[in-house]
Amino acid sequence: MTDVASTHVSTLSPARADLFRIAAIVDALLLLAAAALAVFHAPADTVQGVVQKIFYLHVPSAIAAYAAFAVVLAGGLVFLWNESPAADRLARVAAEVGLLFTTVMLVSGSLWARPIWGTYWVWWDPRLVSTLVLWLIYAGYLLVRRIATPGRQAGRFAAVVGIVGFIDVPIVHFSVSWWRTIHPPVETATPEALPPEMLLTLGVSMLAVLLLAAVLVGYRYRVEVLKDRLAAELDR
Amino acid sequence: MSFLRVAAAVARKDLRTELRSRETLPALGQFVVLALLIANFGFDVETGGAKVAPGVLWLTVTFAGLVAFGRTFASERDQASLEPLLLTPASRSAIFAGKALAAALVLVACEVVLVPALGLFFNTPVFSLELAAALVLATIGMAGLGCLFAALAAQTRARDLLLPVLALPLWVPFVVVGGRAVQVALGGGGSLNGALALLLDFDILFVVVASLAAKFVLDD
Repeated sequence: MTDVASTHVSTLSPARADLFRIAAIVDALLLLAAAALAVFHAPADTVQGVVQKIFYLHVPSAIAAYAAFAVVLAGGLVFLWNESPAADRLARVAAEVGLLFTTVMLVSGSLWARPIWGTYWVWWDPRLVSTLVLWLIYAGYLLVRRIATPGRQAGRFAAVVGIVGFIDVPIVHFSVSWWRTIHPPVETATPEALPPEMLLTLGVSMLAVLLLAAVLVGYRYRVEVLKDRLAAELDR
Repeated sequence: MSFLRVAAAVARKDLRTELRSRETLPALGQFVVLALLIANFGFDVETGGAKVAPGVLWLTVTFAGLVAFGRTFASERDQASLEPLLLTPASRSAIFAGKALAAALVLVACEVVLVPALGLFFNTPVFSLELAAALVLATIGMAGLGCLFAALAAQTRARDLLLPVLALPLWVPFVVVGGRAVQVALGGGGSLNGALALLLDFDILFVVVASLAAKFVLDD
């Protein structure tokens, strides 16, 4: 075995490594700012009180998760098209980050539902059920990656799961809304227009969480590049 | 050879293998009766038998489906007979469609045992056209998705682990709408036509998607 560790320590030019570091530091500051804004600046909701502030974590996490799964879909399609290892790596790391933010979305949503709806979980809400199924599908996606033979097979199989899963989730959403229309409807609060303090807080949180997702994808991608190189070196 | 002729030939081959070996169907029939036995003692059937029957039916169908669909590709792998099949110039999607069709028919045969057994143990109607329509429509789409993931899982190690984890979440639309249709067919309120039409839509969508995706799964 050759001494691989010393030959390929870094995969990035110093300028790009600096860019990653700066993005991570900026994002840490943004996350602190978002937390401070949510606690001190945004007013408490007139109906829900302080609990409503989970909103500033919940909604950005949902957007970040959907964005990450869109990347998984795109990466999978590109990989089936031209077998680019970079597309496969990107899909792989985006699935992990998407699953992380889906978990945040589910947990924060449940904690929010408890005081407002009186229960952690309801089955009549299409968003809850489709998010749970979303989580299960991409957990399966990561299991396929683990179990299939690494390389071409894992890439293809995972791409198929990522694409079919992406089609399935809106259909789950639709079937639960259809199912709900034949069940007694349950009152839900309709959000009114947000005051400017809330909008600012939401905007900063959104930026902070989305940048966090991007930074995580970037760092995980670098690790995967190193892993793939190491595997190639060991094969040689 | 045209798509349909290849699919029919593959389906005929699979069904003939099943009829000669008589492996999967007897096992599935026993599985169904055992599932009902467990359900009978797990639920409080004395007071709520009619209420739990649709749920018992769905649990049994989904898990029997996992067994049936898992077998279609696992048996090919055990005998290393999938590669020669794929070496023929026939389209991968047609081969896949034929295998899914055979697997769907095996599950339908299992349901032919399940429905009377449910009627016997849970006092549900045995000859119900509504129930049959709901079950067959759900089975078609579930077979499309189930066989896609069975083909995928059979080519990996730990294949028995992978199939339920992949297939069950993707079957949720069928469970939601088909579950409702079965509740109506077994005496619940509501209209059946909407549910059956939706099931048919899901069938068309997922059979097409699975056949297209099969090209990439049946590749190596």
